Amino acid sequence: MADQSHGDGGIAGHLQYWTVKLDESNPFMQIHMDTMLVSLVVAGLMFGFALWLKGRLVSGAPSGAQNAMESVVGFVDQTVKDNFPVHNPLIAPLAFTVFVFIALINTIDILPAFLLGNVAHLFGVEHFRPVPTNDLNLPAAMAVSVFVLVLYYEFKLKPVHFCKELLMEPFTNLVPGFLKPIVMPINLILKLVEEVAKPLSLSFRLFGNMFAGEVIFLLIAFLLLGGGAVGMAAGFFVGLAWTIFHLFIGLLQAFIFMILTVVYLSIAHQPAEH
Amino acid sequence: MSLDLTFIGQIVIFLTLVVLMRKYLYGPMIDLMEARSQKIADGLAAADAGNEAKAKAEVEIAEQLKEARTKAVEIIASAEKRSAEINEEAVVKAREEAQQIVDAARDEVGAELNRARQTLRAEVAGIAMLAAERVVESELDASRHATLVEGIVSRGFGNA
Repeated sequence: MADQSHGDGGIAGHLQYWTVKLDESNPFMQIHMDTMLVSLVVAGLMFGFALWLKGRLVSGAPSGAQNAMESVVGFVDQTVKDNFPVHNPLIAPLAFTVFVFIALINTIDILPAFLLGNVAHLFGVEHFRPVPTNDLNLPAAMAVSVFVLVLYYEFKLKPVHFCKELLMEPFTNLVPGFLKPIVMPINLILKLVEEVAKPLSLSFRLFGNMFAGEVIFLLIAFLLLGGGAVGMAAGFFVGLAWTIFHLFIGLLQAFIFMILTVVYLSIAHQPAEH
Repeated sequence: MSLDLTFIGQIVIFLTLVVLMRKYLYGPMIDLMEARSQKIADGLAAADAGNEAKAKAEVEIAEQLKEARTKAVEIIASAEKRSAEINEEAVVKAREEAQQIVDAARDEVGAELNRARQTLRAEVAGIAMLAAERVVESELDASRHATLVEGIVSRGFGNA
């Protein structure tokens, strides 16, 4: 991608980030300004909305924004209650934030493909990716945060059981006694793979879905711009259909991320059987 | 498409957002919703209690009404009995009084009759004496014959 020319570089040209490099030699020392900017704006909007709504909460029959938020809050609360054996006051707000944050960011994707990019061009920015969930950094950040929380609760609530599980599962009971020390490292490796697979699958699922969605949007957009009258008409309708479908996918991915967050944390909260 | 500092920044944004959402949106809303469901539950419980009390009161009222009705029937019955007794007493008394009046009247009539008889007897004796005097003229001893005539008269009127 790096060798693509800037500007009209085809689809790949539209898949580059607005990058600020802090250290040319180290690929880790760079920041995607577009991802940071858009997620900060969305987070700021959510915070502003929260402050605005907090002053207007009524204890009687809710209406308007409060009613809408109450249905979301009630839905998340019910999901968490259904999945959780114990009450933890942090889980529901976490799940709520995951759901709303991802759903809002994914919804940005239904804006016309080049719109925000062109707005950014007006300010002299060459590349601009409008949807932060298309940047692996955001899904990975959330998934790793959730994973760290899961590990924290595993060690806090049942340290002995968890360590035992790391070493003893799944093979120890299947081999004779003298082989147990030999299979323990194998168990550990398998278990670590299993645990690491959680944040990996969590982040890549969201990233992959949204990235593919954007690529398809770009394909449709190029069809629309480059295919003459028929192409434009076809592009318009295909684009409309894909927008509606992608809106649904965005919401679905937000829900999946939320429900998996709740489920992983719920597993960490399950009391040890032994 | 690799991880970089954005990853760190996103973790900070995400965790900050979780804390802020918990404090300013989710916490207040869930408190409010729970308070509301509690209020609704309390209201429903109060309504149930009220309905129960109402049903109880209705049963009580029906019982009291029934009791009052029975009592009223009893009172009416006893009053009717009492009035019948009074009536009966009055009738008996009236009958007695009437009897007394009739008896007194009869006594009076009897006395009157006796008196009249006495008078009549005396008069008749006088007349008879007078007549006998006229018939027998002076040859008869008035006082001796008077006794005789009186005896005759009394015997004759006494049988009459």
